[in-house]
Amino acid sequence: MKIEIQGLNKTYPNGNRALKDIDLEFGTGMFGLLGPNGAGKSSLMRIIVTLMKPSSGIVLVEGKDIQKHRKELRSMLGYLPQDFRFFTALKTWEFLDYSGSLAGMKNRRERLAEVDRLLDQVGLLEVRDRKANRLSGGMKRRLGIAQALIGNPRIIVVDEPTTGLDPDERIRFRNILSLLSQNDVTIILSTHIVGDISSTCQGMALLNRGELVFNGRPEDLIKHAEGHVFKMMLTPYEYDKVKEHYNVISTIPVDDGWEVQVVADDVPEFNSTPIIPNIEHAYVYYMEHKMHADIIE
Amino acid sequence: MTLLHNIRTVARYEATTLRRSWFFRLFSIAALVIFTFLNIGFFSPVGDEPWQLIAISSSLPLVNLYLLNIAQSIVVIFLAADFLKRDKKVDTNEVLYTRSMSNFEYVMGKTIGILRLFLGLDIIILLIGLVMNIISKNMTIDLMSYLYYLLILCVPTILFSLGLAFMLMSLIRNQAITFLILLGLAALDMFWLWYRFGSIFDYMAFGLPVFQSTIIGFDNLSQILNQRLLYFFLGSSLVLATVLLFKRLPQAKTHTTISVVFMIIFFAGAVVCAFNTYSSYRSTLDEKNLVIGTGKQFEERDFVRLTDADIDISHKGKFLEASADLEFINQNNKNLSSFLFSLNPGLTVSGVTSGGKELKFKQTHDVIDIDPGKSLAPGDRDSIVISYAGTINEAFCYPNYSDNMKETRYRAMMLNINKRQAFLTEKYVLLTPETYWYPVPGLNYYPSNPARIKIDFTNYTLRVKTNKDLTAISQGTSENRDGTFVFTPESPLTGITLAIGDYRSDTLKVDSVKYITWYIKGHDFYKKQLSLISDTLPLLVSGIMRDLETNFSTKYPFKTLSLIEVPIQFYSYPKMNTQTRAELQPSMVLLPEKLSSLNSLRRGFYKQFANQKKNMARQNQVITDKELQVRIFNNFVRSTFISSTNYRFVNGAVVNEPTRYRLGPSFYFFKNNFYSSEYPVINAVFESHLQKVNTPQAGAMNITDGLSGNDKANLILKNASFREILELNPASDTIRAILTVKGDYLFNLIRSKVGITEFKEWFQKYIDDHKFQSVDIRKFNEDLNQRFGFEFYPYLENWFNTKEQPGFNFGEPQVNEILVGDRVRYLVTFIASNPESVPGIFNLAFRTGGPGAGRGGGQINMAMAQAGSGGGGNISISMQGRGMEAADISKIVEISAHQAKKIGIILDAQPRALLINTLFSKNIPGERNIPVEDIRKLKSKSSEFKEEETLVPMPEKKITGEIIVDNEDPGFNPGNKVVQAPLKRLFGIKARVSQGYQQINQYWAPDYWQASIQSAYYGDYVLSSVFTRGGTGDSKVTWSAKINEPGYYDVYCYIGKLITGSVTVGGQRGGQGGGQGGSGGPVASKEESSYKDMHYKIYHDEGVEEITVDFENAEGGWNKLGQYYLSPDSAKVELTNQSAGRIVLGDAIKWVKVN
Repeated sequence: MKIEIQGLNKTYPNGNRALKDIDLEFGTGMFGLLGPNGAGKSSLMRIIVTLMKPSSGIVLVEGKDIQKHRKELRSMLGYLPQDFRFFTALKTWEFLDYSGSLAGMKNRRERLAEVDRLLDQVGLLEVRDRKANRLSGGMKRRLGIAQALIGNPRIIVVDEPTTGLDPDERIRFRNILSLLSQNDVTIILSTHIVGDISSTCQGMALLNRGELVFNGRPEDLIKHAEGHVFKMMLTPYEYDKVKEHYNVISTIPVDDGWEVQVVADDVPEFNSTPIIPNIEHAYVYYMEHKMHADIIE
Repeated sequence: MTLLHNIRTVARYEATTLRRSWFFRLFSIAALVIFTFLNIGFFSPVGDEPWQLIAISSSLPLVNLYLLNIAQSIVVIFLAADFLKRDKKVDTNEVLYTRSMSNFEYVMGKTIGILRLFLGLDIIILLIGLVMNIISKNMTIDLMSYLYYLLILCVPTILFSLGLAFMLMSLIRNQAITFLILLGLAALDMFWLWYRFGSIFDYMAFGLPVFQSTIIGFDNLSQILNQRLLYFFLGSSLVLATVLLFKRLPQAKTHTTISVVFMIIFFAGAVVCAFNTYSSYRSTLDEKNLVIGTGKQFEERDFVRLTDADIDISHKGKFLEASADLEFINQNNKNLSSFLFSLNPGLTVSGVTSGGKELKFKQTHDVIDIDPGKSLAPGDRDSIVISYAGTINEAFCYPNYSDNMKETRYRAMMLNINKRQAFLTEKYVLLTPETYWYPVPGLNYYPSNPARIKIDFTNYTLRVKTNKDLTAISQGTSENRDGTFVFTPESPLTGITLAIGDYRSDTLKVDSVKYITWYIKGHDFYKKQLSLISDTLPLLVSGIMRDLETNFSTKYPFKTLSLIEVPIQFYSYPKMNTQTRAELQPSMVLLPEKLSSLNSLRRGFYKQFANQKKNMARQNQVITDKELQVRIFNNFVRSTFISSTNYRFVNGAVVNEPTRYRLGPSFYFFKNNFYSSEYPVINAVFESHLQKVNTPQAGAMNITDGLSGNDKANLILKNASFREILELNPASDTIRAILTVKGDYLFNLIRSKVGITEFKEWFQKYIDDHKFQSVDIRKFNEDLNQRFGFEFYPYLENWFNTKEQPGFNFGEPQVNEILVGDRVRYLVTFIASNPESVPGIFNLAFRTGGPGAGRGGGQINMAMAQAGSGGGGNISISMQGRGMEAADISKIVEISAHQAKKIGIILDAQPRALLINTLFSKNIPGERNIPVEDIRKLKSKSSEFKEEETLVPMPEKKITGEIIVDNEDPGFNPGNKVVQAPLKRLFGIKARVSQGYQQINQYWAPDYWQASIQSAYYGDYVLSSVFTRGGTGDSKVTWSAKINEPGYYDVYCYIGKLITGSVTVGGQRGGQGGGQGGSGGPVASKEESSYKDMHYKIYHDEGVEEITVDFENAEGGWNKLGQYYLSPDSAKVELTNQSAGRIVLGDAIKWVKVN
């Protein structure tokens, strides 16, 4: 499922320009959308799921403009919005059944079987008859995921899905998405939690203040950070100095001081060892260091 | 199909969500509980079983859905607005919005979900009703009406409420404002709009008459359909508009297009229905205006008198074809070159012939102007044949009524019933003379003089062709000749009526009168419910008829009396020119189906029987079932056909209307007619007097202005002559009161000249001798003159054209016990004077008997036995001297202008009170009840006794050195300020201000000073005072007088206290014999008094002194406030509203010079 985003702009009535000339292209598999809060991720998501019109530019799915082919897009879409806390007085299974029915599952028996399968998959089968508004926060997110998955969608859009989840649930969620991405499904995962963009993401984009600052594979993003992540053993005095001048991304207390990881082009004053960066290092390097350097240039 | 699948899905889950909301649950539970109790209370055998509802089985679903619909229409506002609010706020719904469904599917799903839920609740409540319906032994089951009312009432209301709520929320996006607008609309509908403009704005069918008849079903189906479809279409249109305004990117152009197209179609449908609804309302008004306009065009023309009418009518579904062979005479004193006939404007004349020759004619709306091609000399006869066909236009019948549902309410419990004057359908026909279904010489309505009436006694023959399954009913003997019903009335009639339907009949012949009950097949429920009296029935009917004949001093003039069941919607408005209503026709009474809307049958016979039986058992009273049924039957018949009172509220005031089924007209209106070209109201005046129609009494007057009909009439006549008032076209209630006062005066005048008994005997014979004849009033005058040597005709000039009224002052009656032979008699003397410039008459009656005389014992020497009912306010004695008998009066006194008389009268029984009716006069109240307090024993007959002795000079009422300022005098300042709230001004709501006279309500007094009438109050002619709500002293009234001579004055205030039957000032609340009593005025009682401290401020030379008078301890009459030195122009007394009591009362102030 090829998705092309061309020259996408979104300006809200209050003048806030949420998206600026976004051009993106990705296909089947998981695509990560990373960026800090307010970067424009949700606006982009809402445009993709046809909840909102762009101010200009188009989104093509399999070459078709989604604004002109909303019906087709919606029939292959599963969406989990960022804010998915409030429910009406429906029971857990009823909510899934409602979503499934609207997703085109007309056969009641099949639908109910699918409802139970999904509930089982997200670990909610035991609470299928509980009112959805009485579920815990994590359960509600899981129910949100289940409803996004019902009806075998070919495009799944998940906006900040792991916010508020405990580590176990986050892992569980990532696993579900990983499994799904093995199928012929396009998953767009928007998050500000770098860890959510796992190695399973075939592609990713980095948004900042409405602009696309990076588009590529996660490895490419990591490559940018190679040689720029250092590990140091510091005394408390040194630690304060480092904090002042470098981006500290990890601090572990050890005997006689701190083991600190920093992102920087070089750390000449201190005894540092370069380490292999991960995606999180790369994100920090990119957002805090490279972009800053680009601006200065 | 995806469309239906999606709609169904949304509907199912939205309904589930709504069903689980606490608001809906509470509403449902409350509704289920309330309606279960309501159904048990109304319809179950243990309930109240009001006959109005029980008789017509469709009223069960109607009552349920009518009430539920009102509640639902409000609840749905909250729920619908809440739904969109939730959609707007909650991101959860976005997961649904990204699903593949169109906005149309989503909004429709939501609408259907809510609709389905509410209709589900309606159905459950209907099922509860159905259970009661099945349990009830006295109701049939009309299953279809369950469906009809669900569709008619609930669906359009819910859909419109939903659509409007959706739409407003989409536009305004503010739940609070949406609530306010929608609740405001609901309130506006219930309190203001429901009856206006043909109920076009009544979206919840609050006032729309949807009551069904068991005979004809919905009589106004077109009105109902248009009005309800208007809201169905408008609601649908608004729902579709919501689809377009819905804040979600649309996905299906087809659905958007469908929404636009259907929104336009539905809106157009709504416009068409609104147009139909309004144009139907407008056309009725226009029609009435047209009738009045046509009347103005022709009212000055002369008409022939119809002597014979041979009518052939063919009933063809919703149309009729007819020809009328009319024979008439020119009773005018000039030649007639054209003949004018009135015919219902729905009927079109196709030809007029005379002797086989076609005549020229012109039909101008309801008037046919026929050119006979020759002149008809006075006294000559002619005949014509008029052929016509068409339908009946009912708007024509009562052009002076606007059909305003609020002003003339016709309801079964809370349910409005459509008012119809005629029926012309395939299965049922009812045509009364009021519809002018055959040509009649004369107009339906004379705009310049609505009290004018033209009555012809005509020999009718009626031939009717109709469906072979139907039975035609009319007056006279009936024959069926080859499928044609031929009716030949035995006597001339004022009009002929035709009813056609699936009728059955029972006949009972008693004392040469045939009583025929015509009922629709299966409606003879009364036979079963009163089965035990069948063998006693002749005796009962005979007794009732004898009572009626005695009451009217004349025999029932017809050989038959047909009681015909007609659809409940049949309704006649009171007419200005007669006390007779269309429900009563010569030898016929048109009764509502199953007697359902009769006030006299609020509970069915079986229910009355059960209730009374239970009560009697409780009180250990023994009565046989038969006796009980006899009692129930008697009560029913007497209160339906004999009772003369029929009160109704119009804008908070009680209006006394002629009773719809009263048999009174049979004894005058259908039998006699006096006419006059100079005084065209004369017949109405005669009828009003002879019908003995009563005026509102105790109960009703408590909640109205406390004035009798006579008083109201006299207050109006103070400002204008009889003629002038008639030209002003007053309200029908007013005109009837004036006709009655004028009639009472005229007849008492004649009686005063020729003798009460003598006139009664002569006049009784006279009207019997002139039965079914129209008598010129001048001939009547001649005959009277010939018999008694008195001409009343010359008096009519002043009686009709001048407005001056006499005014009477009465002195305290002196009663002496005298001995005449061996018998003790009572000589009553009193002084009466008339200081005004025109002569007047008043009549006298006495309440006699020992102490406590009234209902419990004693003898009431007056016809109105209700005087003893006590407990209310004023009790009118306005019947005194009214009617053929006038047996209630002892004496009629005539007093010339500026004349005083000492009146003497000897009574056999001890008088308790002197009852005076001043008839046409300035005296308000015109009926005075003067108690006799002292009886002196003389033991010998006064040799100086004279029945009437003129006093020369006339005794002065004023005492030298005494200045009295009453609240009616110029020196009184009522001090009322009208302050109108801005909101009230915005909505055009008038501020409550002092108007006329109002009865004092003990529990609520106005914050302004309001005048009130009581015989205990002070006044020259008008015995009035002013009252207001007890307050802090921020409001006051002032009495001021010019003092010519400075000096010391005693200052008095007048305290008006009612005098009860046996106890005077300060006594107990009125005993049963009391002519007055109860809440109408300040009567001392054991209950906490509404009247307490009263604060007077006396202005005098040394300043102002405040005197507090304790009302309860004050004497009835003049109470001294103190002695003060007053200089010229300084006399002023104020009364403030400061009081701990509920009411403050101000009447008159007196200054008396101290010598």
